[in-house]
Amino acid sequence: MINRLLQIYRYRALIQILIIRELKARYRGTFLGFLWSFVNPLVLMAIYVLVFSIYLRMDMENYPVFLLCGILPWAWFSSGLSEATLSIIGNGSLIKKVYLPSEIFPLVSIGSNMVHYLLSIPILLIFIVSFGMEPSWPLLLLPLIFLIQFVFTYSLALILSSLAVQFRDLLHIVPNFLMIWFFLTPIFYPMTLVPEKYRALVDFNPMAQLIMAYQDIFFYNRIPSIPGLAVLTGLSCVLLVIGFSLFEARKDLFAEEV
Amino acid sequence: MAAIELKGVSKKYRRHIERPLATTLKSYFLRDLWHRRDDSKDVIWALHNVDFKVGQGTTVGIIGRNGSGKSTLLKLISRILKPDVGTVTVHGKVAALLELGAGFHPELTGRENVIINGIILGLTKSEIKSKLDEIIDFAELREYIDDPIRTYSSGMYMRLGFSVAVHIDPEILLIDEVLAVGDAAFTRKCMDRMNHFKKVGKTMVLVTHDLRMVRSWCDEGIWLNRGVVQMQGNPGDVVEAYAKETL
Repeated sequence: MINRLLQIYRYRALIQILIIRELKARYRGTFLGFLWSFVNPLVLMAIYVLVFSIYLRMDMENYPVFLLCGILPWAWFSSGLSEATLSIIGNGSLIKKVYLPSEIFPLVSIGSNMVHYLLSIPILLIFIVSFGMEPSWPLLLLPLIFLIQFVFTYSLALILSSLAVQFRDLLHIVPNFLMIWFFLTPIFYPMTLVPEKYRALVDFNPMAQLIMAYQDIFFYNRIPSIPGLAVLTGLSCVLLVIGFSLFEARKDLFAEEV
Repeated sequence: MAAIELKGVSKKYRRHIERPLATTLKSYFLRDLWHRRDDSKDVIWALHNVDFKVGQGTTVGIIGRNGSGKSTLLKLISRILKPDVGTVTVHGKVAALLELGAGFHPELTGRENVIINGIILGLTKSEIKSKLDEIIDFAELREYIDDPIRTYSSGMYMRLGFSVAVHIDPEILLIDEVLAVGDAAFTRKCMDRMNHFKKVGKTMVLVTHDLRMVRSWCDEGIWLNRGVVQMQGNPGDVVEAYAKETL
């Protein structure tokens, strides 16, 4: 485990350059550039505002801000994870021809989507302030929540990307699963609207805990649930160990099977 | 001390015969999990019991027909693949030129791709930046280096890839039929570079179909036939035997 992390550290220059390659290649030649990564969450937000705030009249103050607080980290999670699932297969030509530790490829997928999220935070803050809200010192917890999400996503990415090499079905399963997961996570509705008997769906949903933590610090201006974050940290670490060992057990096959 | 040593190395590949539901989760759980399939007819031994040593500073040429295991051999030496049986020991930094322009992205410029490619091949960022001018001049692409490489001709693409490749400075160089790029003048320049490598004592393993090159340029020849070392030794003798058998 420590070895794996050291290995990743040794290859940090490569990881960095691959993330830059990813970002540059995606927006090269487009007029809006990186802003495109912000357009998608904005469109989603507009739709939900229309449906839930105007059509269905869900009564919630500053609903657009609430939406954006959840949609942005979710976009990092879901695009990161679906890209990462494909990352080993997609980088097959490289894995077959150059000796590289393959665990960097899911990391690059998560990392490049993380950069999108990071870049959107200033825009989110402008948005928040323009609605007359004043986020304050709970924001200091952002790096911690960020780190937990990173480890959690990367662990799942290790598991899914290595399994996808042999079970290509995962490439179809993961996006569908992510869609179900999105609707089960309190992103476009507040947790308080979930009926009591379905609360377990939120309580045992790690992404719900994470998204709620983001909503706490950006929207409600309060400290997120500490026990919740502690459990999440523990879970992420356990998943990371599982992810690394599963990946390790399968990586020798990658050069043959991709 | 040998730079490269293979002891009793075998490598098998599993064939992927398309069966209904053959690679799905369902079949994995229903069939493969309970009856681990490893039928001998589904397995191909790409290399079988290969033994050889390459001394430091030696140039070895590997010849053999298509599918005889030459590329698999290079991949084992470069650690891309792990042997199923036996051991591969390598002393020194290896650069495997199995493909020119590994990691090139068509939308990015030549310059950006040189940096990516160099780091992928094991250079540090400062090393690649200090060699950047040299690489660009060697490839003769100064004029086009800031264009996206999707606009390059295939010759330009190969020249750029080759130029990066010969500017990484490894102790052991594995080359898989990538020498034949560019026009005659560029090929000559490449040969000069290879001769220079030879002179400064780099260990090289070369997979090629250019028999003349093996005869005239390598210190040793290895003939692979269906995954087995058929003959090894003086390059002239090996080439002659191979030519007699196959032509």
